[in-house]
Amino acid sequence: MLHGLRDVVRRQDVILLMLFFVMVVAFTAVNPRFFSVRAMANVLQDFSPVVLMAIGQTFVIASRGIDLSVGSVLGLSGVSMALAIRAANSVGMDPWVAIALGMSAAIGVGVVVGLINGLLITYFRLVPFVATLATMGAAAGMSLVLTGGTQIAGAPKEVILLGNATYFGALTVPVVVVFLAIFVSWAFLSRARFGRWTYAIGSNPFAARGAGISVERHLVKIYLISGVLSALAGAFVYFRLGSGSPLSGRGGELSAIAAAVIGGMSLQGGSGKLTGVVVGALITTAVLSGLILIGVQPNWQQIVVAALIAVAVWAQGLSLGGSRS
Amino acid sequence: MTSTALYEVRGVGKRYGGVVALDGVNFSLHAGEVVGLVGDNGAGKSTLVKVLSGAHEPDSGEIYLQGERRSWKSPHDAMEAGVETLYQDSGIAPDLTVSANVFLGREILRKGVLGRLGFLDEKAMRKQAQSELERVGIAVPASNRPVARLSGGQRQAVAIGRAVAWANKVIILDEPTNHLGARQAGEVLEVIREAKSKGFGVIFISHTLPHVLEVTDRIVVLRLGRVVADAPSSTYTPDTLLKAINGLSQQ
Repeated sequence: MLHGLRDVVRRQDVILLMLFFVMVVAFTAVNPRFFSVRAMANVLQDFSPVVLMAIGQTFVIASRGIDLSVGSVLGLSGVSMALAIRAANSVGMDPWVAIALGMSAAIGVGVVVGLINGLLITYFRLVPFVATLATMGAAAGMSLVLTGGTQIAGAPKEVILLGNATYFGALTVPVVVVFLAIFVSWAFLSRARFGRWTYAIGSNPFAARGAGISVERHLVKIYLISGVLSALAGAFVYFRLGSGSPLSGRGGELSAIAAAVIGGMSLQGGSGKLTGVVVGALITTAVLSGLILIGVQPNWQQIVVAALIAVAVWAQGLSLGGSRS
Repeated sequence: MTSTALYEVRGVGKRYGGVVALDGVNFSLHAGEVVGLVGDNGAGKSTLVKVLSGAHEPDSGEIYLQGERRSWKSPHDAMEAGVETLYQDSGIAPDLTVSANVFLGREILRKGVLGRLGFLDEKAMRKQAQSELERVGIAVPASNRPVARLSGGQRQAVAIGRAVAWANKVIILDEPTNHLGARQAGEVLEVIREAKSKGFGVIFISHTLPHVLEVTDRIVVLRLGRVVADAPSSTYTPDTLLKAINGLSQQ
């Protein structure tokens, strides 16, 4: 019994979950409004885009890569969707058809950027940091070009409804889709060959290649997944706000990477679990909304997230050093 | 050796830019034979290993497996045909478990729809990994531990065990005793003898000449991309072998 309990406590995702509850209690103590259905619904809505980008980041980091373009992809897919829906609207298209069209535009952005990332890394042999830094800049620039730097509003009311109508108090359609995405990704990452190969490539790409795994093809698929999930995040932000801003998603890579490393993903690749990353994303978003509720200016957010990344990686180094000695 | 060679290359040439890495190399291996491949750095050993394992296609020359002309487009082709290679220091993914490593690239999938989606049958793989490793004389504790937690010798044993378990004809071992202590290296050599007695052809590449002399039947010496000697191991002493490698005497 005691032994089993110790095994549970030793799991990093369980420790993180306890940390999350401690945080909830602490924030609630300072501002009781933090622990309300409304505030929790807010946390869940903020959590959705972050966790989607973080799931993509989990695949990528497990394969010893990094995807800096996730935030820009979120922004670009959001504005592409907004533009497509506005155009469809102006010719009097049925709103649901318009939404489907916009959704395809958003996902298309994710596919294209993910494919470019994958090809830059495998075919042109750029290191992931450089490849995704380039697409991060290019996608952010493209958002500005497409919108002229302004917000694209004018979404039909169906969009707002889809993004904000809540069921059972806190669940919106995007939140439900996010939970589905988490479950499917978890299954493929931890129980299927796709995940096994992902970790193998991150752990030792030479061994993976030697075992007959087509490493390049697998990496392209991984960056595609990251692109598509970030695009889905962009679509959900648009559903929530009813407008596409070229500035949304800015700094999103910071939150996604924070969630991943807090959740225990090793930047050396090969290890870390999605369950930890999901809790990492919860912690990242709860910290941010918690800080606002206790009266910290939103401008401090990026600094806090950056500090979280540094602390998480430092703590990983400590625990590695500890287990080695 | 009048019988058909198990694995053979004839007249293999390979250049990288202006550098001639291999020049008219002939190499053969028989079933139940352990052949040592030695040579100085830059002699062409690793290039020949890449040709034999299917990692690189030669510019010229022919490859025969059991007398049949073959050409490898990738290591996967060679593996499917029964030629397994353990590359130097790269055979293992340290974060994966023992059984995941043994089955890497050849995972057993579950039955039915889940299997078609790529879901793994971990239980079957754990069980078979254990028995496969035991079959080649390797005792590894609990195959559900990450390989990183094992000792250097055990890690190498898993890598070799994997190669031996999957090969059905030829095993190529590139520096398998590197970085190992005497006792662990001895265990590795024992696994090689075991593989030989089961009728595999084994190609053993090493800088550690005493290991080469101890375990091989025949030694092929490469120098500047050419085969300069090909003779039974019993004709060498450590001293004459070293001289052959350094080009100080012709065999």
